[in-house]
Amino acid sequence: MNNKEFLTELSGKCQMSPEVAAGHVQTLIGVMENLWNSGDSVSLSGFGVLEVKKKNERVSVNPTTGIRMLVPPKLVLTYKPSSLLKEKLK
Amino acid sequence: MDKKINLSQLADLMSEAGGMSKVASEQFVKNFFDIISKGVLDEGIVKVKGFGTFKLLQMENRESVNVNTGERFTIEGHQKISFTPDAELKERINKPFSAFETVVITEEQSAELSDVEITKEELPTAESDNEETVRIEEEIGSVETGSVEAESSEAESVEPVVVNKPEAKEPQVKEITQKRGTRILLKIVVYILSLILVACLALYLLWPLVGKALIKSYADKSKPAVETVKPAARESIQVIEEAELEVEEAKPVIEEAKPAVEEAKPLVEEAKPVVQEAKPVVEAPKPVVAEPKPTAANDAQPFNLNQEDQAKALSKFTEADTVNYRIAGRLAVHTIEEGESLTKISNKYYGTKKLWPYLVKYNNLGSSNSLMVGSKINIPRLVAK
Repeated sequence: MNNKEFLTELSGKCQMSPEVAAGHVQTLIGVMENLWNSGDSVSLSGFGVLEVKKKNERVSVNPTTGIRMLVPPKLVLTYKPSSLLKEKLK
Repeated sequence: MDKKINLSQLADLMSEAGGMSKVASEQFVKNFFDIISKGVLDEGIVKVKGFGTFKLLQMENRESVNVNTGERFTIEGHQKISFTPDAELKERINKPFSAFETVVITEEQSAELSDVEITKEELPTAESDNEETVRIEEEIGSVETGSVEAESSEAESVEPVVVNKPEAKEPQVKEITQKRGTRILLKIVVYILSLILVACLALYLLWPLVGKALIKSYADKSKPAVETVKPAARESIQVIEEAELEVEEAKPVIEEAKPAVEEAKPLVEEAKPVVQEAKPVVEAPKPVVAEPKPTAANDAQPFNLNQEDQAKALSKFTEADTVNYRIAGRLAVHTIEEGESLTKISNKYYGTKKLWPYLVKYNNLGSSNSLMVGSKINIPRLVAK
């Protein structure tokens, strides 16, 4: 399912045009981004948790050349599916 | 900060930002995530522009080990939902840390690390030198306090280094590599100290076995000294009894020495907690510890000897090397070379500097200053009395 198909389905369900739906999607993402930036996590029952995690810096070694690199710390958006959704996979 | 935002809260925020009614926005958010989860389950992949990609991944069977029992078992293949955020979104999320770059670690920095490994090797050998002395038990105590302290203070000093401020907009990458370096150094030092601690504890536990053997061997050495003071009077059985009594007497004396060491501890604790100074701290109690040893030697022999005899026995014991020989003929003729002294010659022929007076005696040398380069002196053959 690509972005276009996704928007069509979403607009069909909410009874709005795909263009309007696209706008709302961007607003929603913007709202969630603000939450993540302030350190909050978005938790939706039946879907999962979307939160920002800090990955520590680490030393990685290139296996072929043996060059050691210090990879800097970073903030990563992570998704953890809810157990309800995992159950459906089986 | 660190709040969990649920569906209704998200819908509220959404309606504020997007000009939708609360009911409509809640419906919208619900549909948004429902379609994503449905799409992932049905089609295996959902792409949302500006957000990211949800994908269904097939995990193969794999082997694993039960940590508790060590049993091998297979983890069944299963499906997993993965999420990859959009490159743009990823970048925006990581904005606070965007100033960091991956750095290649240079030779210098890895050399710094190997330096520490060398000192790590030095430390245990210094420790093993002391293992053969009677003091070791006391040292264990002091080393323990020293290293434990050092560890705790390190733990404190490590923390500020670890802390990374997400607020820092323009941190220096170099500074971070340095911080990383010092942290690794600290870790290694902590590791070394804990190794020493473990070694000392092992020794401490084995002390009853090792210690007895040491004290016995000491008692055996002191036997001949006792015999020279009163040669005829002692019967061999008595001597053996003495030795055994000495062993028993020596034990409480060694234990008495402990309080002295414990007194030294507060001094050690006052010492600075910095990592580099941990080594001096560990060594500090030694002089204090050294004192109880002579007392142990003195008190070990009071049974059959009065004070005077005891003093003689002691002096004879220490001078045994220089008095207990008699000259029996000539061993060699030595031509004196430049830079040689009687002690050096003595060391060369007898393996000890102490026996140089025999050279003076045998050659009738008035003063040892009168030696000339090229002159010859006779080396006596020494036989133990």
